[in-house]
Amino acid sequence: MNQTLKKRGLRFYASIYFKIIAQDFKSKMSYRADFIISTLGMIMTNISGFIAFYIMFQNFETINGWNYYEMLFLYGFSLIALTPMQCLFDNNWNLRYKVYEGDFIKYCFRPINIFFYFISEVFDVKGLGQLLMGSLTLAYAWNKLSLPFTVGTAVLLVLALITGSLFMIAIMNLAAATCFWIINSGYVMVTMFKFTEYAKYPVTIYQGIFRVLFTFVIPIAFVAYYPSYIFLRSGVPILTCMSPLFGIFFFWVSYKVWMLGASKYAGTGN
Amino acid sequence: MEPIITLKNVSKEFKVLNRHEGLKGSVKDLFSRDYKIIKAVNDISMEIMPGEICGYLGPNGAGKSTTIKMMTGVLEPTAGEIIVNGRVPYKNRTENAQNIGVVFGQRSQLWWSLPLIESFKLLKDIYQIEDKQYKDMMELYESLVDIKSLYSKPVRQMSLGQRTLSDILAAFLHNPGVVFLDEPTIGLDVSMKSKIRDLIKALNHEKNTTVILTTHDMGDVDALCKRIVIIDKGVMLYDNSIENLKSFFGAYRTMRLRFTKDASELTEEALKKQAEELSANLLQKYPQVKSLSVSVDEDWIDVLLNEDEIPLMKVMHHIQETKRIYDVQLKEISTESVIKKIYDKDIK
Repeated sequence: MNQTLKKRGLRFYASIYFKIIAQDFKSKMSYRADFIISTLGMIMTNISGFIAFYIMFQNFETINGWNYYEMLFLYGFSLIALTPMQCLFDNNWNLRYKVYEGDFIKYCFRPINIFFYFISEVFDVKGLGQLLMGSLTLAYAWNKLSLPFTVGTAVLLVLALITGSLFMIAIMNLAAATCFWIINSGYVMVTMFKFTEYAKYPVTIYQGIFRVLFTFVIPIAFVAYYPSYIFLRSGVPILTCMSPLFGIFFFWVSYKVWMLGASKYAGTGN
Repeated sequence: MEPIITLKNVSKEFKVLNRHEGLKGSVKDLFSRDYKIIKAVNDISMEIMPGEICGYLGPNGAGKSTTIKMMTGVLEPTAGEIIVNGRVPYKNRTENAQNIGVVFGQRSQLWWSLPLIESFKLLKDIYQIEDKQYKDMMELYESLVDIKSLYSKPVRQMSLGQRTLSDILAAFLHNPGVVFLDEPTIGLDVSMKSKIRDLIKALNHEKNTTVILTTHDMGDVDALCKRIVIIDKGVMLYDNSIENLKSFFGAYRTMRLRFTKDASELTEEALKKQAEELSANLLQKYPQVKSLSVSVDEDWIDVLLNEDEIPLMKVMHHIQETKRIYDVQLKEISTESVIKKIYDKDIK
């Protein structure tokens, strides 16, 4: 009965994760209409967002010293940085329902990490449409700004995108985890998600308290502005250099808070 | 033999805020430190041997779920000691989870969108089940139930019965020492219920798996459990075999009566009214007899009594004098009534 077990390390989790995703993807594909419509919907949402952005720049030459293509760069960058949260961590949106209805308890009975088990359950395909939009926008802006594309900048770009994603995921992890303590956590999630809209703009356009808020409290400035600064301006600020470390740390904190909530959770009776 | 589950003086307390009424009250609650302590489980001790099927019974809110959560390692007891499979469950949740199986009726633990066989394969990976053991288990399953036809079906498309069946199989797949079944037959039709009971019995028999079963369905208890533990308001009321419990009530008889020719034509209200009248009548006639009770069961009116207190024929005679009896049956006390008597604390 008590067989000796292999340690459940990174390889164990990676292998299980890909199996779940592959299966889930297969079953999503069997609902083809749903897939096509939701992907189209996602693209439409992004296009309308882009149109608003375009119209704004018909009226302004620059925003706070950032020209059209630089802004487009930030826009594309933030869309890509949003994608991992959207595709891989989408189950956070369901967390509060599972917690309030007592369904969350099922995640406590498997001999694997609860956060992993919960998050791995859903892979949201429609985020991929956003990835496509973001990539096209970023490539276009990159080209128009005549930025050099070398191995060095490619590695930096990937690193910067991962950093932005980590911040994005961590913000939503924390927002979702509030449901372990408060009843109306839906508002927290929606509000946080709305804030991520502001990630597209350079944080310098916000003044005073908002700047501090968006840098250190709800750090959306780290989703796109600070990581992409290195490509657009010379004289890299210290916050840009530190952003990957901050990203990892912030993600770790969000994970710990999430897990603390989960361990507090006792489920409702039947 | 060593017990597989040991509970020693286990208690669980919850701190609950004393809520105040109205808007002013809610503001007050925000800053209130006015907690009251609720004892969900109060000083429970028991030992369960390997291979037992133990029915864990109690009315809603009795503390069953809390006890199960403590045994599965989700909750930490406030006081006392729990050992499951030689481990303290809440100290190492993952290690404990490796050696138990859990089924919650109506809450599937399988991957909603995946075909059943893929869920099984994932569980094989998660529990690190060896190929041979997995193959043997699947063969056993196929010999017990018609599961092959469900392999390619996603769980979301299954009926409740098929889902429960699949969940039970999934819980036994890694051959755990203990399986906790929380109301496994809830909401199922009669034939599915018996199918599920047969399956649990067979798996328990084949693998000598210890099963802790909570249920409100006495059919489950009669079919599966030799031993039952009853708790109410967190306190243990009974822990012994069913036989013992029944012999305790050995002199109890149920007299089933019909006062109309065609009872199926009677509405439920009318039947209840008849029962109430009869109850009032008997109470007036035999105020000193404590065991007497009247209830409605389908289209029968049941009169339960203890023959040590009053002869059944005497009561029947009395009833016949006031009312015409069309049909009568005599039965021993059912498990259902025994449990109800304990819940109602009629007998200690």
